[in-house]
Amino acid sequence: MSMIEMKQVYKKFGDNEVLKDISLSIPAHQVVAVIGPSGSGKSTFLRCINGLETITEGSISVNGHEIHANTSPKALKKEIHAIRQETGMVFQQFNLYPHKTVAENVMEALLVVKKMSNEPAYQIASSLLAKVGLAEKENAYPSQLSGGQQQRVAIARALAMEPKLMLFDEPTSALDPELVGEVLKVMKSLAEDGMTMVIVTHEMKFAEEVADRILFMADGFIVEDAEPQAFFKNPQTERAQKFLQKVSEF
Amino acid sequence: MQIVIENLPFLLRGAYYTLLITVVSMFFGLIIGLLTAIARIRGNRVLRSIARGYVSIIRGTPPLVQIVIVYYGLVDYGIEFGPLTAAYIALSINIGAYVSEAFRGAIESVPKGQVEAALATGMTERQAMRRIIVPQAVRYAIPPLGNTFVGMLKETSLVSVIAVTELMRSAELLISQYYVYMPFYLAIAAMYWMMSTMFTFALHRVEKRLSVY
Repeated sequence: MSMIEMKQVYKKFGDNEVLKDISLSIPAHQVVAVIGPSGSGKSTFLRCINGLETITEGSISVNGHEIHANTSPKALKKEIHAIRQETGMVFQQFNLYPHKTVAENVMEALLVVKKMSNEPAYQIASSLLAKVGLAEKENAYPSQLSGGQQQRVAIARALAMEPKLMLFDEPTSALDPELVGEVLKVMKSLAEDGMTMVIVTHEMKFAEEVADRILFMADGFIVEDAEPQAFFKNPQTERAQKFLQKVSEF
Repeated sequence: MQIVIENLPFLLRGAYYTLLITVVSMFFGLIIGLLTAIARIRGNRVLRSIARGYVSIIRGTPPLVQIVIVYYGLVDYGIEFGPLTAAYIALSINIGAYVSEAFRGAIESVPKGQVEAALATGMTERQAMRRIIVPQAVRYAIPPLGNTFVGMLKETSLVSVIAVTELMRSAELLISQYYVYMPFYLAIAAMYWMMSTMFTFALHRVEKRLSVY
């Protein structure tokens, strides 16, 4: 069964059509990199998957939870809630909770959503922080960490809920160049563990190396859908050729 | 000076009432204000317009008018309050409007990404509000709430017109007894000033403690 199934998805903001006729299927354990020029709808595409944006037309199903554009608000709420329980998300700006320590950030959803008690939640947080290499930062506040460390905490926070799917919205775009590597490394090891991942990114090298599949978006369409090798060596459309040329110019 | 010292116990009693009215009105004002802010941000259309109307009317009319409406005006409809109760009611309703604006501003100044992060981990909107947004908003709200509180402290002088013997009216009673103005006015001005300053100082301490992160 596929993890994500999209059928003729459209998304409009007022008169502005941001996603146009998106249909695709992403199987479990696949790592998908979404690339394309800014304003092409990549982030919106990602945010529709976990219901941070609602779709205008079409349908999306995530691990069997289905939303249609015409699903009633009440049913929609329920389905989106179910989807979010199984989906982790990492944001460009980290969005860590500034009033909570690193460990508390990771524990929060376990306490509130899973109603776990403190001790087991702490155990999970602690082992996840070790996994992202931040065991010694448990008691720090987010503001005391570098961007790269904050983003790794954000990944640990998303993993705490044991998601079956991880969404990354330009996870390294707000980072200083020397901090990008440590975040990509964590993401790569997640991919190797078999996590299903959809990654909006500008890191072409990473996409080529780690992703199983590239979606190239432009003007709200998925213009190309190919394996990394094929896409980067031999892009089929003029849009993609121009884009790749531009990003490799320097 | 002598005359003020001799009457200090009476003035202190007035100051006690001033503080009491301030604290009680602020307490109920906080509750009214929080509910109003939530109604304005999360309520349906009807609730939103009621809340908006309330804030607009209160902020657009003088507190003195509000006080006399509650104390004298309602008597026409058979609703009578004692002076102190009327003061509590009028001032709580008054301050609630300002508090709600402080809360609303504070809630809106929490970055949108915070709610999104909370929702993305599977929290409901209510959980995100309670666990993530409100705790951060409280910190943003403290400076404007502090100003509101100090404003309230001074505004309580208005309830002297409905015969509540707080600080202002205490001075006026003494004046009508001794026929001297300035010593008493200066004395209560100093007492208002001391209370405001003490409160502002305490507030700074709280703010500092909350800004550990």
